[in-house]
Amino acid sequence: MKPRFAILTVLLSCLLLAGLVLSAQQTPPQEVQPGQPPGQVTLELNRGGQMRKIKLAFPAFRSLGQLTGAGGAVRELEETVRRDLDVSGYFEIQGPDALSGLSLTGDVQKDLAAYRSTGNEVLLLGDLRVEGEKLVFEGRVLDLGSGQAVLAKRYSGPFSVSRRMAHTFADEVIRFLVGKKGIALSEIAFTSDRTGNKEIYVMDYDGANPRKITGHRSTSMSPAWSPNGGAIAYTSFFNGGPGLYIADLGSGRKRPIITSGSLNTSPSFAPDGGRVAFARSFDGNVEIVVADLSGGNLRRLTNSNAIETNPAWSPKGGEIAFTSSRAGNPHIYLMDSEGANQRRITYDGTYNDGASWNPEGDLIAYTSRRDGQFQIAVTNVVTLESRVLTSGPGENQSPTFSPDGRKIAFTSSRGGGKQIYVMDLDGGNVRQLTTEGNNDLADWSRSVPER
Amino acid sequence: MNRKWMIWMVMATLLTFLYGCPKKKPATPPSDLNVETTTVPASPSTPSTTQDVQQPAAPDVNDQTEDPLTSADMQVVNDELKRRGFSPDIYFDYDEATLSDDTRDKLSRNADLLKSQAQLSMTLEGHADSRGTNEYNLALGERRANAVKQYLGSLGVGADRMRTLSYGKERPVCTEEVESCWSQNRRVHMIITGRSNVG
Repeated sequence: MKPRFAILTVLLSCLLLAGLVLSAQQTPPQEVQPGQPPGQVTLELNRGGQMRKIKLAFPAFRSLGQLTGAGGAVRELEETVRRDLDVSGYFEIQGPDALSGLSLTGDVQKDLAAYRSTGNEVLLLGDLRVEGEKLVFEGRVLDLGSGQAVLAKRYSGPFSVSRRMAHTFADEVIRFLVGKKGIALSEIAFTSDRTGNKEIYVMDYDGANPRKITGHRSTSMSPAWSPNGGAIAYTSFFNGGPGLYIADLGSGRKRPIITSGSLNTSPSFAPDGGRVAFARSFDGNVEIVVADLSGGNLRRLTNSNAIETNPAWSPKGGEIAFTSSRAGNPHIYLMDSEGANQRRITYDGTYNDGASWNPEGDLIAYTSRRDGQFQIAVTNVVTLESRVLTSGPGENQSPTFSPDGRKIAFTSSRGGGKQIYVMDLDGGNVRQLTTEGNNDLADWSRSVPER
Repeated sequence: MNRKWMIWMVMATLLTFLYGCPKKKPATPPSDLNVETTTVPASPSTPSTTQDVQQPAAPDVNDQTEDPLTSADMQVVNDELKRRGFSPDIYFDYDEATLSDDTRDKLSRNADLLKSQAQLSMTLEGHADSRGTNEYNLALGERRANAVKQYLGSLGVGADRMRTLSYGKERPVCTEEVESCWSQNRRVHMIITGRSNVG
């Protein structure tokens, strides 16, 4: 209850400063990514990279008055805003070190030319102060051409929510300057054996703030976010054979979706949130089925003698990707959500499994065995062009797209144990998100979770 | 009197031959085994006391010996079946759920034993090696367990006595990433888990 109250406080006290947009005409150079011409679909994986980055000056935040007891929260807030904007890939940031060579007076209006002299287009300023038990953060973005503030936001909340304030402001900056929805408030569900048993966890998109969702002390796996982020469906063995369960993240309550039969596993929500596709055993033959969240209206979609598993419902809802071994080896297939029009879409590699859609619904990332090693590959569902994104030591598996489609989180054993990493869509900028225990089977929330 | 004692001895030997010594549970030594060492003092040259040694009473041999297969302890039942030739584990090739000839021979012996002990019910655990995704391996384990169930069924073991349970790659017996380890994990493990009142 406490964190929810805190979040509410932040949201309620998130006030727009008077004169938010001082000059609507003088918006800074807004790099809107050129949309793809209709009908033309290509395997353009460096969608973000092709864009010219916005040059952003980011001097150290100012502390106003005594920040008694809030020193850690203040530093964390500033670092988090800078990191969020940096990993978004939209900005080329000049931080305090890069700016230290400039002769700045401290009066922003007199320093505009100095900031511009190293190529900066916009300036981000932050002021922090403590009011009672609360941290107050004011963030501003100035157009260095006109010297006018184009975005100004004030947030207030307990010291403990400083990261959340930072994420909220960073996404606001991205929305305003880039015109895209940021992902700094999105979350990643995953499995971890850090307690000795495999349990379901959720962490912030940057790996911070991991929290345990299940405590079954058995094996729980295959977490899948509901579309609004309010619940997670998963597989667990705690009651015998693998059954499907759902955890409500608001109340923490868990309940079964379906446990009849010998195997129910790998859930994927329909975009309407009312149904799940999953794999179920029919006398040992595992097939793709769809049911509502109480396990009712069970409908079988596939019917072959081979293994069918790992369904992934497309973001628009019309199709379901899945794995089938009907061609001898596991490969990714597509069908419409009623089960018709089943067709194979992967041909490279001898083992392709674990499809994950991008939010636009034109790309599928999956695990692909190449030269005996498991790698992350991406294929365009229309052109069937594919590309391998990872290489090197260790196995790379279980990809999941970020809600903006610009990043992929995945599991790698490159460092020994299994850990979750994130990379850009072109395979670059790899960062490790987890460290404790073995961590696997990431599923990135489709949006900012609602609770 | 002496003759009667001899008969008892012969019967005891025969029984032991027929049913074997009572099976001990595999002794898992407690990790914190507390060993006490006592130093025995050098014995004095002349004993101070005399211990009266007597012939121990003859063991009470009862010819109503319990069959280990009727034990309530399922570990005892599984050990006894194994002693009689039951193969608790059979193995598979990579990404395969088909039964080799060797496997079929083992399962045939298992089926004979199971048919002679119709009261026993069994869980067939399907396992896979660590390669590939968790979900695909769950499906593969399920397929393997079911392949064994089908074959045992075809040999006359009632389907209602067999329950399949796939663990995929979640419960490996060996965790190194080498073929010698993977091959041990690609298996169906058969364990007696219960007893029905029938039979």
